[in-house]
Amino acid sequence: MHKKLLIAFLIYLGGLSTIQAQERGLRGKVVDEQTGEVLPGAAVTIKGTNVGTTSDQEGRFRLPANAGQTLVVSFIGYTAQEIVIESLSQPLTVNLKENFNQLSELIVTGALGIKRSARELGASAQIVSDESLNQAKTINPIFGLSSKVSGLRINMYDSKVDPAVQITLRGNRSLSRSAGIDGRGANEPIYVVDGMPVPDIARLNPNDIESITVLKGANAAALYGSEGVNGALMITTKSGKQGRGVVKISNTTTFSQVYLLPKYQSEFGQGVNGVYDPVQFESWGDRFDGSMRNFGLPLPDGTQPQLRYAARDTDARLDLFQTGVNQQNDVSFSGGDERSTYFLSAQYVKIKGIIPQDESDRINLRFNGARQFGKLNTTYNVNYIHFKKNTTPDGPWIGAYRYPANFDFGMMKDWRDPLSPGNPLNYFTPQGSWIRNPYFLIDNIRDQTQQQVLNGKIDFDYQFTPWFKALYRVGLYSLSEETRSTTGKFEAPGTRNTVGTVSDGTNNYRRVNSDLILTFNKDFGKVSTRLLVGQNLRLDSRKTTSIGASNLLYPDVFNPGSRVGELNGSVALTQYRTAAAYGEFTAGYDNYLFLTLTGRNDWVSVLSPENRSYFYPGVSASFIASEALDFLQKSSQVSFAKLYASWNKTGNVTLTPYQLNNPYAQSNGFPFGGLVGFYPSLTNPNPNIKPEFVTSFETGLQLGLFNNRLNFEGTYVFSDSKGQIFNANVSRATGYNTAYINAGRMTNSVVELGLNGDVVRTSALKWNVGATFTHINTQVKELYDGATSRQNFRQSYAILGRQYPTLLVSDYVRDPQGRVVVDARTGDPRIAANPDTVGTLIPPYLMGISTQLNYKGFSLGMQFDWRMGGWLYSEIVPAMYSSGTHPATAYNGRQPFVWPNSVIETSEGVYTENTTLKTSSADRAFWNRQGQVQSNTMAKADFFKLRELNLSYSLPKALLGRQKVISEATIGFVATNLFIIRHKDNDHGDPEYLYNNTDGYVSFRQVPPYRTYGFTMNVAF
Amino acid sequence: MTTGFPKINLMKSVLKFIIAITGVLSFSACDQFLDVNENPNAPGATTLPLSAKFPSALVATVNLEVGLHNQVGAFWGGYWGTTNEGVGLYIDLKTYNGPEIRHQRDGIHIWENNYNTLLYYQLIREEAQEKGALFYLGAAKIMQGWHFLRLVDVYNGVPFDDALQGTKVLSPRYEDGKTVYEKAINLITEGIVDMKSTLPGTEASTDDILFKGDKTLWAKFGNTVKLRALVRQSQVAGQASYITSEIQKIQQEGSGYLGVGQSALAQPGYLNTAGKLNPLWETYYRNVQGVSTNAREDIRPTNFLLGKYQERNDPRLANLYVAVNGEYKGVIFGNQGTAPAYARAATSLFKGPNENSSRPAALFKSAQQASVLLGSFESLFLQAEAAQRGWLPGSAQTFYEQGIQESFKYMEVPAAEFAAYNAQALVNFEQAPNKIERILEQKWLALNSLNSLEAWSEFRRTGFPDIPVSPSAPTPTARPLRFMYPESELMTNGEQARKMGGDDTLKDAVWWDR
Repeated sequence: MHKKLLIAFLIYLGGLSTIQAQERGLRGKVVDEQTGEVLPGAAVTIKGTNVGTTSDQEGRFRLPANAGQTLVVSFIGYTAQEIVIESLSQPLTVNLKENFNQLSELIVTGALGIKRSARELGASAQIVSDESLNQAKTINPIFGLSSKVSGLRINMYDSKVDPAVQITLRGNRSLSRSAGIDGRGANEPIYVVDGMPVPDIARLNPNDIESITVLKGANAAALYGSEGVNGALMITTKSGKQGRGVVKISNTTTFSQVYLLPKYQSEFGQGVNGVYDPVQFESWGDRFDGSMRNFGLPLPDGTQPQLRYAARDTDARLDLFQTGVNQQNDVSFSGGDERSTYFLSAQYVKIKGIIPQDESDRINLRFNGARQFGKLNTTYNVNYIHFKKNTTPDGPWIGAYRYPANFDFGMMKDWRDPLSPGNPLNYFTPQGSWIRNPYFLIDNIRDQTQQQVLNGKIDFDYQFTPWFKALYRVGLYSLSEETRSTTGKFEAPGTRNTVGTVSDGTNNYRRVNSDLILTFNKDFGKVSTRLLVGQNLRLDSRKTTSIGASNLLYPDVFNPGSRVGELNGSVALTQYRTAAAYGEFTAGYDNYLFLTLTGRNDWVSVLSPENRSYFYPGVSASFIASEALDFLQKSSQVSFAKLYASWNKTGNVTLTPYQLNNPYAQSNGFPFGGLVGFYPSLTNPNPNIKPEFVTSFETGLQLGLFNNRLNFEGTYVFSDSKGQIFNANVSRATGYNTAYINAGRMTNSVVELGLNGDVVRTSALKWNVGATFTHINTQVKELYDGATSRQNFRQSYAILGRQYPTLLVSDYVRDPQGRVVVDARTGDPRIAANPDTVGTLIPPYLMGISTQLNYKGFSLGMQFDWRMGGWLYSEIVPAMYSSGTHPATAYNGRQPFVWPNSVIETSEGVYTENTTLKTSSADRAFWNRQGQVQSNTMAKADFFKLRELNLSYSLPKALLGRQKVISEATIGFVATNLFIIRHKDNDHGDPEYLYNNTDGYVSFRQVPPYRTYGFTMNVAF
Repeated sequence: MTTGFPKINLMKSVLKFIIAITGVLSFSACDQFLDVNENPNAPGATTLPLSAKFPSALVATVNLEVGLHNQVGAFWGGYWGTTNEGVGLYIDLKTYNGPEIRHQRDGIHIWENNYNTLLYYQLIREEAQEKGALFYLGAAKIMQGWHFLRLVDVYNGVPFDDALQGTKVLSPRYEDGKTVYEKAINLITEGIVDMKSTLPGTEASTDDILFKGDKTLWAKFGNTVKLRALVRQSQVAGQASYITSEIQKIQQEGSGYLGVGQSALAQPGYLNTAGKLNPLWETYYRNVQGVSTNAREDIRPTNFLLGKYQERNDPRLANLYVAVNGEYKGVIFGNQGTAPAYARAATSLFKGPNENSSRPAALFKSAQQASVLLGSFESLFLQAEAAQRGWLPGSAQTFYEQGIQESFKYMEVPAAEFAAYNAQALVNFEQAPNKIERILEQKWLALNSLNSLEAWSEFRRTGFPDIPVSPSAPTPTARPLRFMYPESELMTNGEQARKMGGDDTLKDAVWWDR
């Protein structure tokens, strides 16, 4: 709504300057066809001239015109209309039809960045507009896509100042876990910004984005070949529009607060075996009694720190965290004339983290331009990103959840003071490592990163003849990253000691991408044909260097020059090149039946010359039933109906450079002075690796009902990836740990449903509700050489015949009813010798629900995310068991107890209920053992969360109408993760979190999740 | 297709252009464009000479021996326990927890490390075979024999013939422990033959961090490893003739065994730099800054061990540990209590130069000290036992006393103290009621924290000395007999592993166990 106003106002202002006080000409009025309401600010131009104006507050316009000329009337949100002027004598009433997401007119950004009509696509594509994307004003645009697109799963994880993201479209196709030279994972889609494939869009300014078209499968992204095998995110950035310049300013300030910390016990404090111990951090002491107790050893001046021996009223661990502040400031300028347009934007983002001293900032600059020179059209974009962050690694939180419930974080802050209990020499427990003073870790161990990205491209589009045009596009993506990790030296005896270290690194990555695309169009009566042939060259190179010292002399000189021992350093250079030739032939009949054939041949540098060239084809068809079939055409209920299907085979090479031969490297202390010693890599190289192939079939139905008031799309996809290239774990008796092989097969069956409708559609009130549903079933069909399972990471496995990935955990011995069997002698639960599969770590059922309510100037948007059927595994729990902070460890006052719902095996296979036999103990050793039983540390990962909320108010035009400076002003409240409902067994954190690219894996290395809320303000001039 | 377009000439030229581009791509220019897959970051196998691969393999062996093997052996062989503060450390060993030990991630990866190291030698062996580099061929075979024997000692049956074939044999077949022992012994025999056939001038030199290219010492070393493997079979019924015939072969070969002053010590040239220090020093004593390591802070001698030294008034004791208020105080391995007597501050730490007026101590002499792969003392005690059993000529007593003297020498005890020590009833060979037990006691005292895996193995074979059961053991009579097959193996080669039958840590002994 506000957008309409804004544009109307701008055009209005523009109009004033160009044609004031016209005496003669055409008069007219623009109204909404359905409601009859006048439309102020509609653009009215004479086709083929520079003559134009906008409708005024009453919807009226007047402009010089001659009969016979064509009038073009357009208005945002409405379908543009062309009217041939018959006479100037009568005022003309132009009825504009509101554009309710008309499926038949939808234009998508297809492969290679080419805009095409969605009707001819034989595969699913979904568009996310900038309004929807920026609903919650996320800093990383990918987060703005969460749960808005069926088939697309986005997990945000890690809550520091630069949260990480994992993104998959239609499930996993590859067992490989290694990233390519561009850093993209083997199951990650390709990101294409204005036609240029880039490795990452996480730091793109979301406000620069006009729309994102999600090409969901290999079928839609066929022309991208290998890279499109996981689908594509086609990002179109904003461009200027013809007319007066527009200036927009916005600010968003949100606050982050941690939540979902794992529960803790508040009955027992620090000690060992039920006895208080002032220097022990684990909570195995006696019961809290409220007394003052000695805490740690006496300080150098003889004073003895004391602490009240009682759990704090509030969660002490929260004291470690602060409220994070996220600020985004944006300004953009855009405009253009009949030959050229420009869009210029700048963004500054500053984040203060939830851990003290963590911060990041980001500057984005963009210049997008276009200019026409006769038949040559040029489009050029330049984007510069400067990103900086300064964080502390995992330590502070890793200690925090192991400390007793009376721990006083405030006492530890001033650790530099030699008399502070927080000083490493005085710290209450001499454990070292993660159990050092959290504030010492925060202040003393820092990771700094500075990144600069320069990304640009230019398109030369030449229309040779009406039926032939050529496009040449060349782009550059250049990333330069500098990192520095430092640990300040603190000399102290034994485990209190901290060694000073420094490590400086650079990472320079560059991509040059070149595409030459020739397009031929020709219509033969009702038959239209289009042939596209193209050629692509890609050069990726990366250089990383690191230099450092692991033993610095001084606490404040972080330079390897001041060190003891040898200098550490390494350099790695990698290059990856690909060449491709591709073609696509589309034939259409009467604009309702389309058939497309695609073919592509890739040449990749990472395979042996015998294997590096590979070809693969595809075919797709679409049928617009609503236009082809008479009864549908006449139907008043069905406005649009499309059926589509496609089949496609895509070759893929998930191999990084130099994997065909075994590289040797020096380690284990080599070189010892003059003595060199090299070790082979323990990955068995395979010079005969071939491309893997994914075959996928997709069919779907798209419906627009009741004048496009209700839209539905349903898709079924089956994909089969064979001969996968992956680094398989092999029997160590082969000598190697892993081997590169072409084996493994996974299938995906995917059902995607989307429903979107306007529940209320009046001029004052509009309420739209949408839902997406996805079911993905990924099955492991083959592994290699008789292997029945393969470990991904820790408890995440690929298991033959099961969903991928599967959680495999150790468990207790159970009777046929699932009751835990206790040892008849000790009463302790018996631990089964072999681990058991539980379920998949990726929720197979995904659902997104959105609602958008507009009432006058108010707008309320909400996005809900619902994921079901997956499991998660938490690594936090075992440590909380052994450190006695987990609530389970306080069970029964730490006295031996009858294991709930347990049985005794009286004779082989005969079980009787255990009601009397108590466990041998309920002490640290006992609970430590239970912590090792992994079934205690898993839970269902189901959740339902309010992912985004946006409540905004646009100032009424009446208020703004009196002045000519501000054309639009909006103020809003935005929030993420306002509430979450988790499965009752899940006390581990946010089920969306993952660790080391392993779904369902909650790690102690991540600080707890957070929610954000704050304000946003937009002003346009 | 093309005929459908009106301007055929243009169409033709466009097509020509496309064909030209694709043509260029598929032929020479394309090849040049794509030929960027040579690794610029690391040398390949063909670039490196054998002399750059051999020392690294030896260091891997030594690190395993001083590292994992020594650690497991020191806890299960009766040497080490932990302080109260370290009550949660090494819990899987304290509880004899087979399933946790075999764990892929947190387990003790003896299997994995031995096979990886075997691969290093396999690649050397294959290349040496091809190039006729007999010295490296022989050394690689001897070292492979060493590792296969170690694997059997810990896992019983393991893959031998099918092993180390890379992707050629992805599911290597297991062979029983006895067969692998025989094959490993034969491999060492072959290795000694290759070694002795080396033409003068083609030996390794500085890259041989064990013997600097001395073929005779290599042969002695190989024979000693074989002797160790043969003595290990003493309790197996029906092996006597095999043992004697194999010993006969060694005698015929003629190089003999490592003797006085002939320890297999590895010295790659340790430096005073993190990661380049002597591994025992860096793990169990002090880091490069001289700061006491975490392991040293919590590892203590067991009271059982201290008692054995003390009842013999053993002069090595003072060089091994730091006294607390003038007394040597140990701990109980596997103790779960928190009695103040077992606190860090109340118990004896490892001793090194820092606690010894900068003089070398028994185990810790300097950060650059050589690592012990096989001490002369062990060789002498093995010869003593073989002689005592009548398998070797020579006097068991002489070997025994030389063994003690060599241990004294290694542990920095003045030679003069031997006589008084040897005169004691608990030490003297002649006065020993059970000679074998006496030899094993002294061997156990000499191998303390150096080659501890032998202590556990020899205890399993003979029951000497009578190492106490861990109080954290699942039952008061439980004894750790072996490691279970590792999870990594069950996941990748489970079918073969399961063919070997039971692998319970507490039930299924290795083949030579008593």
